[in-house]
Amino acid sequence: MRGADLADPVPVQLLAEDGTFTEHPTFSRYIEGLDDETLRELYRHMVLERRFDTEATSLQRQGMLALWVPALGQEAAQTGVIAALQPTDRVFPTYREHAMALYRGVKPEELMGMFRAATHTGWDPHKYNFNGYSVVLASQVMHAVGWAMGIKQDLATGALDEGRAEDELVVACLGDGATSQGDAHESMVFASSYELPVLYFIQNNQWAISVPQHTQSRVPLAHRAAGYGFEGLRVDGNDVLATYAVTQYMAEQIRAGAGPKLVEAVTYRIGAHTTADDPTKYRTQEELEAWKRRDPILRYRTWLEAQSILTAEATEQVDQEAAALAKDLRAAVHSLEPIPLERIFDTVYAEPHRQVEVEKAWLKDYEAGFAEEGQVSDK
Amino acid sequence: MSQTFNLPDVGEGLTEAEIVSWHVAKGDSVEVNDVICEIETAKSLVELPVPFAGTVEELVAGEGETIEVGQPLIRISAEGAAADEPQRPTEPQAQAPDNGAAGAEAPSTGASEAEQKTTDDVSEEQNQALVGSGPKADAPKARPRTRPAELDLVDISDLDVPAGSQRSPVPGRTPSGPAGGAAADVVRSATPPVRALAKRFGLDVAELVGTGPAGRVTRQDVEAQAQQGAAAGSETVDTTLSAGPREEQVRVRGVRKATALNVSASASEVPHVSVFKEVDVTRTMELRSALRSDASYQQLNVSPMLFAAQAIIWAAKRNRQVNATWHGSHYTLCNYVNLGIAAATPRGLVVPVIHDAHAYTLQGLAAAITALTADAREGKTTPAQMQGGTISITNIGSLGLDFGTPILPPGQATIVVLGAVRTKPWIVDGNIVPRQVMTIGGSFDHRLIDGDLAGAFISDVATIMEQPGLLIS
Repeated sequence: MRGADLADPVPVQLLAEDGTFTEHPTFSRYIEGLDDETLRELYRHMVLERRFDTEATSLQRQGMLALWVPALGQEAAQTGVIAALQPTDRVFPTYREHAMALYRGVKPEELMGMFRAATHTGWDPHKYNFNGYSVVLASQVMHAVGWAMGIKQDLATGALDEGRAEDELVVACLGDGATSQGDAHESMVFASSYELPVLYFIQNNQWAISVPQHTQSRVPLAHRAAGYGFEGLRVDGNDVLATYAVTQYMAEQIRAGAGPKLVEAVTYRIGAHTTADDPTKYRTQEELEAWKRRDPILRYRTWLEAQSILTAEATEQVDQEAAALAKDLRAAVHSLEPIPLERIFDTVYAEPHRQVEVEKAWLKDYEAGFAEEGQVSDK
Repeated sequence: MSQTFNLPDVGEGLTEAEIVSWHVAKGDSVEVNDVICEIETAKSLVELPVPFAGTVEELVAGEGETIEVGQPLIRISAEGAAADEPQRPTEPQAQAPDNGAAGAEAPSTGASEAEQKTTDDVSEEQNQALVGSGPKADAPKARPRTRPAELDLVDISDLDVPAGSQRSPVPGRTPSGPAGGAAADVVRSATPPVRALAKRFGLDVAELVGTGPAGRVTRQDVEAQAQQGAAAGSETVDTTLSAGPREEQVRVRGVRKATALNVSASASEVPHVSVFKEVDVTRTMELRSALRSDASYQQLNVSPMLFAAQAIIWAAKRNRQVNATWHGSHYTLCNYVNLGIAAATPRGLVVPVIHDAHAYTLQGLAAAITALTADAREGKTTPAQMQGGTISITNIGSLGLDFGTPILPPGQATIVVLGAVRTKPWIVDGNIVPRQVMTIGGSFDHRLIDGDLAGAFISDVATIMEQPGLLIS
């Protein structure tokens, strides 16, 4: 246990709000080796997500999506973590990890299927090593730990699936609210007892819908890890470099067999919880403005420009790419077709199941029982 | 070509929204995602971005207007876009309500000519909007069903069905099957909700002939049989109670809405307890007659309520806990009485408050009650006049009633209810004599007030009503 870390609730920070870089005895070294291209990529991914997110909110407001879950303000936390991982690492997201999904290559139409209620999960989790979004709070944390147990068993029996890396790490994403779920607790007990290769990535965005973080926990959420016997660190989630460095630091140890670790990225949800939420009802404008001044993209861009890593042309290019992505997204949403009814039932079990067949037949019959457009009823 | 942006469902199952303000005017040019207006839904204030670029042709709904999801909001004439796509009406998702097209079917949807017209103008883009993705936007506008949907989700194909239990296909009643037919036969004959419905009508599904699949008894079969039975028992069939539509939808607003909110909150949060006492108020009524002939009480309301108000103030002083507000972790004891007077007005129930009622003389109180009730009846009661009550009084005697268990006004622990004054036989010194008698009771917040305290308080009120002279001492 690193007692010093536990006693210090101040999040690890490399980039201050004004974009100035401060050396850190443990974490600076993870940044020093990064080339300019990699650093620009971090910026690019954050900007792409933000534009994507804004467009999705508009599409919801135009009736094209049933719901949208904005990730505005959390771009650095998500990008920092996903960029520090290997493509072979498996991610179990909540429903807000859009930056991570896009980073892994999930396509706009795949991401939007669920939010238009056209599909259940829009993408193949195995293709991107990125699981489907999980709307049931903290359920994905159990899935992550189960997956990690599988890895451990496979390694023990030498039956690792082809194509899976021996040093695979599993990321369990959760929010501050989900830490209060029993599932989160149980998963941490198992992850610790079995010394599983799990990285808990908590995005503490301060609000669980309308419940403030201090109601969820009287101590920093990172301190929860100590209770289960593993290490937890707080990082400034609006500092993409610090988030990247801390994730690398944790991942190194997990891959070396140290068991689970926890990163609490302290950030802020600039937007609403979802498009069906009105945050002005429970939080103040002053609080929002204070967090806007800690904007993750602005801070990072200021530093990149000061280092002459990001030129005006490069910025313009990223903005253009973001605009194109927004356009693609709009087109993709318009082209989404609902999946056939059958698929809902056909994918419940691998083999035919009598009860599911009965239910499928019933629903088809029910759906067929509606009048056609404009057909006048007999009554 | 003109494109219409219909009001979308911006929050999981919303059905309507109010236009708070327009940010654009006719003739303005807009880009995709420009904010055109602010709307207020049941959930939140929302800025709406427009999905088309072009020139604003028409703002269909005005500020302050509430429109339903799916109704036209704004029309934009597109720049250079030709109407090359054949226009078709809004095509909803499966089960989603369809505002325009369904209008052809049911007059109750109130689809106007204007709405019919708009469906023709709807652009291809609009056709893909989700409408009513949530649970509330349901029944009245959904596409009609061509046949009933039977919930029949249990596969019993492998249960034994004994021979002879098959029902006769001849319409009408069938001979009863073998006594104690197999469970499978009962299950097969009708679905659980249909069996439940039959039970409510007092019908036995085994005696009905089913018209459903495999001879199953359907909801319609049960309803038809029940109607036949009902028709046989009545000569004339009046479809309504009096002239007018069979059912009316009445919007809840104003005092009705406020009352509903208050009493729902109070009834669900506060455990009410009630006690009653029958009291001989003959002396109070004598005092009342005396005051009525007193010149200084002319024009003033000298009712039993006036004396009850005095009695309540006196009794509250002796039983402090009835004059309090519950806050969960603590409660506030009030060292004053703000007396609420429940008044039935043309607008509904209003409870104006006499602040510091304990500071008034009897005559002052009479004047205050007179003024307050007059204001209430004329609808002049201000919101401030309805705030801050600590104890209320409701006079159901004026309605000719004797007992009642009123709901406590928000924040109050006591409401006293006064019954009608009636001449009744009463035992005085062992003799039956006619006396003027009324029932006094009340509802109390049981979290603060147990039955013994409620009883002591009501008994004290009763004592004064019985012996108003005690107030002088």
